[in-house]
Amino acid sequence: MGEIKRVLVADDSDTVTTVLVTALELEGYEVETAGNGIEAYEKGLIGEYDLVILDQLMPGLLGLEVIDRWREEGRQISTIMLSGVDDDRTVVGSFESGAVDFIRKPFRIPELLARVRQRLQE
Amino acid sequence: MNGTTIGVIAVAVVLIVDVVLLLGLVAMKTVNRRRAQSYKLRRAEYVATLSRCLASPGSNHPIDGRAADDDAFLDAVIDMRNIVTGHEIETLAGIVDGLGLARRQEARLRSRFPLGRRLRAAVSLAEIGDETTATVLIEHLSDREPEIRIQCARGLGRMQHTAAIDAILERLDLEEAWVRARFAQTLVRFGAKATWPLVAYIRVNLRHHDNEGVVEAIRVLGLIGDREVGPTLAGVLRVASDPEVAIATIEALGVVGGPLAIRPLKATFRSTDWRLRAKSATSLANIGDPSINPLLARGLEDANWWVRRNSAAGLASLPGGNEALVRAIGSDDPFARDAAAEALADCGALASAREREEAGLATAEDSLLLSHMSGQVLA
Repeated sequence: MGEIKRVLVADDSDTVTTVLVTALELEGYEVETAGNGIEAYEKGLIGEYDLVILDQLMPGLLGLEVIDRWREEGRQISTIMLSGVDDDRTVVGSFESGAVDFIRKPFRIPELLARVRQRLQE
Repeated sequence: MNGTTIGVIAVAVVLIVDVVLLLGLVAMKTVNRRRAQSYKLRRAEYVATLSRCLASPGSNHPIDGRAADDDAFLDAVIDMRNIVTGHEIETLAGIVDGLGLARRQEARLRSRFPLGRRLRAAVSLAEIGDETTATVLIEHLSDREPEIRIQCARGLGRMQHTAAIDAILERLDLEEAWVRARFAQTLVRFGAKATWPLVAYIRVNLRHHDNEGVVEAIRVLGLIGDREVGPTLAGVLRVASDPEVAIATIEALGVVGGPLAIRPLKATFRSTDWRLRAKSATSLANIGDPSINPLLARGLEDANWWVRRNSAAGLASLPGGNEALVRAIGSDDPFARDAAAEALADCGALASAREREEAGLATAEDSLLLSHMSGQVLA
């Protein structure tokens, strides 16, 4: 049996967080949460995560700012961006910042889980 | 009993009343806080249960039937509907159906509950209602409370219940301006399904004295963007005597009219009413045909500031338009010069001219523009 993968879910919406945590835990992942950009940034610096699912619009720091700050600190964390805003600037900006995937809200749970599985297998 | 005793008793009574009131207030706050905490916990539990239902379809995660009476459950369902999509929405709809949630909200809406609870029921039905709730929503399009009417229209628009389009249109003339505007927004959600009912409504009501509903209907056609209505709107523009109708039609033609709208818009660009000229300039530019550049260039010399401004902005958005604007910079007309310079600055041409000047690559047009702008700054 392989090592249990750790995932950080960062979103300021309790509902989104609960949906993601429930779905990911049912898949067997160990999940932690952050409710704003600053908490996400700090947890990303301290914790060892195999994957982060990061909302773009969060209080404190935007998702893209969190990735930029991790990069400045030398942290390379595999990140999937999650956002209700899917204009070109946000989508392209996410990939340019180093995100490995971009998921639009509202999302389909099986699709999200498939993308998570794929990223964690890489 | 002497005066002093009466005074002491009076002070004591006041103090006791104050203390009782204070205790009542504290108790009320405590109860409210606990209620809020309890609501939050229940809502979180419902979200978690619903999430399990969605994440492992087919598995059994029973939800207590009493949940249907719980506002926390209702809010959890509404929140979830905004987060997930696809098959998950059908799963949620199945849960909502199984618990009879919509039926209970219908009963609330029909009841004599205070406005707050009826409004909440209307909002809930607008979010979670399906075709089976359309009848009650249509009934309440004429509810005594405007916000309830709006929510019912919103729900019908969300579910694109075509049979409701005429019922919503019938209300346009009866509603106050702010309600009418919200009703119109709901019609946009029907998309092209609403196009021909809107056209029929406009044709029937165009010559009526009160044209506010028609104005709103024309705006909706522009927002829906169905190009099939271009000729109809051009016809409306020919006969419109109310400037508000004409303005709304000109604006809509800029979106849906296409090349066939250029001719009627050229005619309104020559109107004696500056509002029609200004709106026509923008709409002509929106159509995107550079053949109208010379016409818009003449608009730079219009007597009205808005017409000059819209003509200049229109030119800046069209192929070859910047050349006309640069030519206007050299014009004898100071108003045309200012309108052109402002548009060139807004579209980034001024910044590009500065960059070329710094690189020693400035063209004659760049120099003309930069000297005009520096002259303005000095002035």
